[in-house]
Amino acid sequence: MSSIGMLTAEDQMAIEQRLADFLAKSEAQWSALVDKGGNLFAQSGNTGSLDLSILSALAAGSFAATHELAKRLGESEFSALYHEGHGQHILMSALTHECLLVTIFGERTNIGLVRFYAQQATGLLNELLQQAQAKEATMAPLVLDGDFLGDKAAIS
Amino acid sequence: MAFINYSSREIQLKIVYYGAALCGKTTNLVTLHKQITHAQKGELVSLATDADRTLFFDFLSLNTKTLPGFTTRFQLYTVPGQAIYNTTRQLVLKGVDGIVFCVDSHWDRMADNVESFANLQENLIENHLSLVQIPYVLQYNKRDIPNAAPINYLEFTFNNRANRVLAFEAVAATGSGVLETLNAAARLLLAKYSKTPNANVTGMSQPNLSVAVPPADSQVSASGKTAA
Repeated sequence: MSSIGMLTAEDQMAIEQRLADFLAKSEAQWSALVDKGGNLFAQSGNTGSLDLSILSALAAGSFAATHELAKRLGESEFSALYHEGHGQHILMSALTHECLLVTIFGERTNIGLVRFYAQQATGLLNELLQQAQAKEATMAPLVLDGDFLGDKAAIS
Repeated sequence: MAFINYSSREIQLKIVYYGAALCGKTTNLVTLHKQITHAQKGELVSLATDADRTLFFDFLSLNTKTLPGFTTRFQLYTVPGQAIYNTTRQLVLKGVDGIVFCVDSHWDRMADNVESFANLQENLIENHLSLVQIPYVLQYNKRDIPNAAPINYLEFTFNNRANRVLAFEAVAATGSGVLETLNAAARLLLAKYSKTPNANVTGMSQPNLSVAVPPADSQVSASGKTAA
């Protein structure tokens, strides 16, 4: 199943609403939809001053390494990955369309509850991703002014 | 694959620094992290061994306001160069939008460079991609070493395809040519979305385009930038 290349404001709001519902039920701290290339699509909750780009890149990397382990063990994929810390824990659940649901939670809740509601959330998010991809197929590609090949630095 | 978020008006693009072991990929990111002052930059993350050899990847995120109305987030990754980490390189290439291929200019490293370039193409195929689709630039690094291979040799070896790409001389450890290389890669990525397509952009249709390699001496200017 191919990955998601764009999200409209409407898709984004719908996904964020699902993530917020999931957080409210599971009492987790933060949840995000990330693709397996490390892009952050949508998020809900609070991580304080954590850099979310780094978090997404590391989560995607970690899941990718685990996926490779699964393949070598003859599994098609480990559908979820759980890292337990002293005060904070992280659960990553596989979604369709090359995406992941990444959840950070603390002592207010427990892995059983988070996993239970994460399973519900993955079903709902998969539906939204399916709709987003169907919409993407009908949208005009992004076209920008300028040829970007001059000497002007894009990054300085 | 680039990700466009119309809600937050953000475009996320992934650039991977690829090359043989010890060619200077991590040094490029370390130097960029120091050199870049205007773009909003994140922390440089290195997943490395105790001996500072890249184990998984290095990562640096840059937010720029290059495009009117959009924030462009360039996510820079390196791959581990050592031969044993090939699976990891395939994983890092997932979702790549652009590539900087670093070449170690040392004569003794030419076989490794060539092997790494071939490995890049194999790993792109594993990800259902190819250098025809993905914009890339070449960086001839370590130009300050006494026994550096001449530029015409490097151009002949790595830039002798039908579509010649931009190539830059660099000394990543001192910062020379590093930002120029990244900017070229960034502009090529943005040009893929341009209203006025440019034939020099790899990844765009270029019917019957065949560019002869000009004499090597004329390719590199004082700024280190070669003609496309």
